[in-house]
Amino acid sequence: MKAVHRSHVGRELRVAWAIAAKDMRTYYTQPPSIMFGILFPFTLFLAFTIGRNLPLAEQIPILISQTLFFASSSIGPVVIPLERADQTFDRFLTSPVSLLSILMGKTLGGIIYGTLISIIPVLVGIIVFGSQITNLAALIACFALSSLAFSALGILFASIPGQTVGQVMMPLNFVRIPLLFISGVFTPIGQLPVWMQAVSFLSPLTHTVGLASYASGGETFFGPVLNVIVLGAYAAVFVFVSIHFNIMNQRKQ
Amino acid sequence: MDNAIKASNLTKYYGKFLAVDHVSFEVKSGEVFGFLGPNGAGKTTTIRMLTGVSIPTEGTASIMGYDIRRQSVSAKEQMGIVPDVSNVYKDLSAWDNLIFTGKLYDMPKAFRESRAEELLKMFGLYERRKERVKGFSRGMKRRICIAMALMNRSSIIFLDEPTSGLDVQSVLIIRDLIRKLNQQGLTIFITTHNIEEASQMCDRVAIINHGKIATIDTPEKLKSTVESLQSVEVAFESAPQNILKELGELPQVSEAVKQGDKFKLFTREPSSVLASIWNYTQSNNLKLLTINTVGPSLEDVFVNLTGIKLATEQEEPEKTENDKTQKITNMRGNQ
Repeated sequence: MKAVHRSHVGRELRVAWAIAAKDMRTYYTQPPSIMFGILFPFTLFLAFTIGRNLPLAEQIPILISQTLFFASSSIGPVVIPLERADQTFDRFLTSPVSLLSILMGKTLGGIIYGTLISIIPVLVGIIVFGSQITNLAALIACFALSSLAFSALGILFASIPGQTVGQVMMPLNFVRIPLLFISGVFTPIGQLPVWMQAVSFLSPLTHTVGLASYASGGETFFGPVLNVIVLGAYAAVFVFVSIHFNIMNQRKQ
Repeated sequence: MDNAIKASNLTKYYGKFLAVDHVSFEVKSGEVFGFLGPNGAGKTTTIRMLTGVSIPTEGTASIMGYDIRRQSVSAKEQMGIVPDVSNVYKDLSAWDNLIFTGKLYDMPKAFRESRAEELLKMFGLYERRKERVKGFSRGMKRRICIAMALMNRSSIIFLDEPTSGLDVQSVLIIRDLIRKLNQQGLTIFITTHNIEEASQMCDRVAIINHGKIATIDTPEKLKSTVESLQSVEVAFESAPQNILKELGELPQVSEAVKQGDKFKLFTREPSSVLASIWNYTQSNNLKLLTINTVGPSLEDVFVNLTGIKLATEQEEPEKTENDKTQKITNMRGNQ
């Protein structure tokens, strides 16, 4: 008796969800996930804020952006190397499901993690500092597109063949940390020289910060529409490149 | 479907290194097919290409008629895989490992739960289904891994070194299971280092060496190709010091090897050698404990085709008189 097989698209989505649910259960509480996804952005935020006499309420969009950025992009680089080391990643490659669905499942794990962690600063902002969400649609777009783009970025870096978290996290941080300096996290984009503003436009984090500020009644340098388009484009590019890298890995394996 | 697996010119390069060199073979439906070879011969690379983990540099493979690359989902629906390492989710329970596998195959909830229960009972792990696999023994993890490969009631099962490094009880359970699965009509593709296991279990075996198929045939036919590897095993109550040399010099003996408390004399003429040994025993006042004629084993075929023995012979000058296995070659025996 064969397993009853159901519609193709539905099947791919169900399998992607099963992979994400398994990752949530197995890896969300692993020390590297907590370290790189939670402690890292909060510590950076506190290091930047404490002693600088900055109004904390105005800094909440920055904290939201940082947590979205670090938490979403950390799950793939934690999960995939550990699964490679245990050879459990091969289970996905030998199961009757497309590579796209496997990576969708992995990406979904990062999206949910990033979203759950980043809701905390939103709630703290509202409850403790009296921040207001003036544009809920912008906040939802910020969460949805940023968590997708950053999770896909993590998956892209996790395509680097390695069997330890460090082998993937090191090059990822080599990219993540410099992005903080050009994305309006430490210095508003309007105060940067013009050429830096052009560089800033290329950073996906710039558009997360922009949308988070806009949702809280602040300003976004490049405008909310452009923020949404750029984040959407980055998400598509990161997913596409991840698939390509994984196929390259299968050729090399 | 006559052929369950068909490999055509499968080739794999790692950089400039050619790991698998234009390998072609077919495995018939319902067959137990053994894939033998020394370490680094290309067994696991071949299995990884057949199961879709690795993309071949050249060549194609089909599973039940489905091309593993172009129709990968249909091909993968047909098979279960047990890799050389038990790749179970250590932080999940035995039950959750099987249920997750069922989800990967998109099995409906009721079906995957009943199948998981059936398999866990079959493998004697149902009572421990809620425990994390992390605490299981190696043999138990292996059983879980095999159960996961059977979740989808696949037509073909790939087993990469299934009994390697396991205790005797686990080995016997797994061998018995493989026989039962084959009796139920499953096609079994098995790689193993255990040549005797392959000889006992496989309908046909392929021997791969340096990435190339050296031979494919039934174990008995392969054994019959190495008539020169017949031998006589003899044990004496007490043996003089130079006995190995003297046995090696007996007429028709091509090679004499000490194996524990026995001596193995290779020959094309076992009956002549039996007579020579009797004469030797009488003239030296020795007492025979056992004497047997032994046909070539699959191991002999393997050694003959892969040249493993040559490596041993190269090491021989460094060996001492007290080495467990000693060997004397008498060229006259080959004349």
